[in-house]
Amino acid sequence: MPVFKTPFNGYSVRFSPFYESRLAVATAQNFGILGNGRVHVIDLASSGPVINELIAFDTADGVYDVAWSESHDSVLVAAVADGSMKVYDTALPPQANPVRSLKEHAREVHGLDYNPTRRDSFLSASWDDSVKLWTLDRPASLRTFREHAYCVYSVAWNPKHADVFASASGDCTVRIWDVREPGSTMIIPGHEHEILSCDWNKYDECLIATASVDKSIKIWDVRNYRVPVSVLNGHGYAVRKIKFSPHRRNLLVSCSYDMTVCLWDFMVEDALVGRYDHHTEFAVGVDLSVLVDGLMASTGWDELVYVWQQGMDPRAA
Amino acid sequence: MSMRELVTGGAACAVPGSSSSSSNPLGALANALIGSSSKTQGVLKEIPNATAASPHPQFYSHAADPVAALPGSELDRPFLQSNAQGSDFIRGFRAADANGFADAWEEIQRQPPFDPLAAPAPPIQPTLDGPPQRVLSSFLHSFVDSSRSGVPLHPTPLPLLGLSQGDKQCIRDRSSIMARHIFADRSEEFINAQVNALLSSLEIENDIHARGPMPGRFRELEDYWNESQGVMKPGAHAADGWVTEFSQNRIHHGDPDTWAHSFEQQHGAGGWASEFEQEQAQLTSVDQMRGGNMQSLAAIQQTRMLAHTLSQNGDPKFQNSKFLQFVSKMSRGELIIDDNQVKPASENWATEYQQQYNRGASWADEFAQNEVFRGPDQWANEFGAERLQQESVDDQWVNEFSKLHVDDWAEEFGRQVGEGTLGDGSSDWANSYDEFLNEQIAAKQRSDASRGVYVFSDMNPYVGHPNPLKEGQELFRKGLLSEAVLALEAEVMKNPENAEGWRLLGITHAENDDDQQAIAAMMRAQEADPTNLEVLLALGVSHTNELEQSAALKYLYGWLRHHPKYGTLAPPELADSLYYADVARLFNEAAQMSPEDADVHIVLGVLYNLSREYDKAIASFQTALKLKPNDYSLWNKLGATQANSVQSADAILAYQQALDLKPNYVRAWANMGISYANQGMYEESIRYYVRALAMNPKADNAWQYLRISLSCVSRNDMVEACDSRNLEVLQKEFPL
Repeated sequence: MPVFKTPFNGYSVRFSPFYESRLAVATAQNFGILGNGRVHVIDLASSGPVINELIAFDTADGVYDVAWSESHDSVLVAAVADGSMKVYDTALPPQANPVRSLKEHAREVHGLDYNPTRRDSFLSASWDDSVKLWTLDRPASLRTFREHAYCVYSVAWNPKHADVFASASGDCTVRIWDVREPGSTMIIPGHEHEILSCDWNKYDECLIATASVDKSIKIWDVRNYRVPVSVLNGHGYAVRKIKFSPHRRNLLVSCSYDMTVCLWDFMVEDALVGRYDHHTEFAVGVDLSVLVDGLMASTGWDELVYVWQQGMDPRAA
Repeated sequence: MSMRELVTGGAACAVPGSSSSSSNPLGALANALIGSSSKTQGVLKEIPNATAASPHPQFYSHAADPVAALPGSELDRPFLQSNAQGSDFIRGFRAADANGFADAWEEIQRQPPFDPLAAPAPPIQPTLDGPPQRVLSSFLHSFVDSSRSGVPLHPTPLPLLGLSQGDKQCIRDRSSIMARHIFADRSEEFINAQVNALLSSLEIENDIHARGPMPGRFRELEDYWNESQGVMKPGAHAADGWVTEFSQNRIHHGDPDTWAHSFEQQHGAGGWASEFEQEQAQLTSVDQMRGGNMQSLAAIQQTRMLAHTLSQNGDPKFQNSKFLQFVSKMSRGELIIDDNQVKPASENWATEYQQQYNRGASWADEFAQNEVFRGPDQWANEFGAERLQQESVDDQWVNEFSKLHVDDWAEEFGRQVGEGTLGDGSSDWANSYDEFLNEQIAAKQRSDASRGVYVFSDMNPYVGHPNPLKEGQELFRKGLLSEAVLALEAEVMKNPENAEGWRLLGITHAENDDDQQAIAAMMRAQEADPTNLEVLLALGVSHTNELEQSAALKYLYGWLRHHPKYGTLAPPELADSLYYADVARLFNEAAQMSPEDADVHIVLGVLYNLSREYDKAIASFQTALKLKPNDYSLWNKLGATQANSVQSADAILAYQQALDLKPNYVRAWANMGISYANQGMYEESIRYYVRALAMNPKADNAWQYLRISLSCVSRNDMVEACDSRNLEVLQKEFPL
């Protein structure tokens, strides 16, 4: 399956919601500790295991995450470590990009999520402990959600309720928010270590998964969050990112500092469905295609982006 | 002076000027993107500002305000307290013309900051000020890697990387946060130690409290404890020995004379001073420990305190809670890590520490209060001087000595030891201990500032040699650099005004990969002969290496001004305010004047390195090499510059040329290693470093690079040999 080499360390990879062969990759120099960043927009060739780069955008600091617009097929947002977000339009020449620069966060922006239902707004999660709500047509954020006591690493919109989202933080909690409410509506003290990622189940709007430095993934039902629905153990180090399948209710994918990408079925006893150890450094970005069932992508600090079909060996040419 | 530091520069930093690295022409891209999808075009028009500039660029239209329709958006704006929807608010806002807010709002709207065509977005300017070099990258790599191997990262003094304050802040904050993800399995102690090692290697002071961990999630107490036990090993630091020694004599504290006598009887009068000096040497080694040994004083103090706390209480639950307290205090910032020291912000901490270390405490206390600690050497020297003057007059000696309040000190000491505890003076103690530590830091800084003072080797066999200069030149020619250094030192000791001797000494040190001494020697050469062109050039190059632009410009300009041919080009008034552009222009004029002068091209090459225009620098050096093909140091400069502009493979060819001309050019061997490391060929690089070190085991930088390469290939077995500087083992393992 095709591989793409990035000059910097990979941080995040996302499938385009409009084109099945297109992806965006966020990268940062020196593991994101210091240096520049670059966003790559890449395309799978129709024949052969080849990935072409369509365009790339440079930033003055590392890029930690990227999100495609749900309303414009050429627009994407990049989360930059200097606390800013850059909006790029791949249809415009490089000198016209970025079309927006949104700078409000005081610290690194670590996570982004574009609202898939309303399609007009997106969220940013930052190490300044806050989450901010944005639309592309406003120069300033619409709202700031400030309750977490430590870095917020990830945000995820609920797939069904357009105003509901979850945020995962290093304060060991996940908070559920409704943008119509002034404060968070639910606090789930999900782990005893930092929580690095969260995602909603795409078929059951009450199920949320959390991934933590404690190496575990937990599935929660927000109607009864005293005990997790399921606990998935198997990663050897902190779990960095998780994503529910858009195609199968019980399936989710995770990547970890143990350098593997894992596939889980949280409803069965032997939950670990597959383990891919193709990365040679920390695996920090993973995504599942909405348009093609079973198409997966991952990136890591080994500066490689893999795109492969579930069940195949990512490295097989 | 060759340009080794330049080699370490910039391999990875070059961000192409165009924002896209792909060579796809834009037209093709646009065709591919737009032509392939008519849908794209349609969509494009909908994107505000994505189309050509509209006559009235606006952020959004208030008629169909999508923002207003977005629920919850009003919640963030305090003046929106009315439960009206955002759109109502904005309409109302606009209606109220008299309102100053409205004007301001309109003002904002009139500005078209988001229109890419009317006001093109500023080009992406890579704002990384310092060169983010491969060395840095490799070093960060070994930091990240150490999570897997579990091998503690040792601080490695890296060459000057030119990191800006902002860069340092980034490294500090990000590495602290990331370390807690990467090293999740490890104890907090280990994580702190790792981060501290990273920061101290990069000379980043931990003065702004880095983003610590969250409190209340420390479950691996056992690990922590075990870890901290391991950390304790370097704890037996010099002060303790001193104090112990002192306390052996404290019985006599009542009478200063007796005390002095008996002390003298025991140690001999002269012995005291030397012993003191010894202790001082050890004290400075405490200082080195801060940088040279990853544990740093902070770690030692923490763990000692822990050890004490835990030993005081039998109840494991209590132990744990105390322990938790400490850790959470640490994480809440009640204990502040300040400049790699733990500063006790809490009384408890100080008391506990004191109970265990009241002797050291009172010692430090008194020591600081009496200001005896004026810098180890001074004190000892003063003492020694007095000793000489008043030989054999013991009473006078005691009197002199008591002027330094030592008797008070002894009394105080005895009193406190007698009391067993220090009662309420704990915070005082903490303060003065801090003072004492600060003194030490200040002393270190002073020694840094006095860089540029030449340090002679002792036991020089060439002292008394009839013609050490000639001998030195001969040795240098043969490539016996370390020997040449000794001979030349003998020469400049004999004739301190011999500029040529100093210059040659500087060059020898530079080729032997010892920059500090090279700079010191060159500065002496310049003192002796302020207009020596070669010296000025060497100083310009070395300051370029150190990324000190203004100093480099000063010397390079001086070179031009004192040059018999180009002196007229340089107006003397320029010397007051040197700008890079002016100096570069003058040298270009000089190059036009006499294109056959290799030296001008060399200086131009150096200047372009200063402005990081590596392509131009390479061209200049190549021109110079056509004129001077046998100048090995010029080949080395070319290689260094090529390495800087991510042409490590070419750099190796250039270094090879230098080595063909001069096989024992230590610096070029080390540079070869760096270039291989830059290409990820760490195994190769190790062989070259070892070769360089075999020729000059004193090349500290090469040892550090070797260590980085060893950890990059996970040769932890050999890291030990590296740390103990066991060349024999390394040479056997890595023959070239």
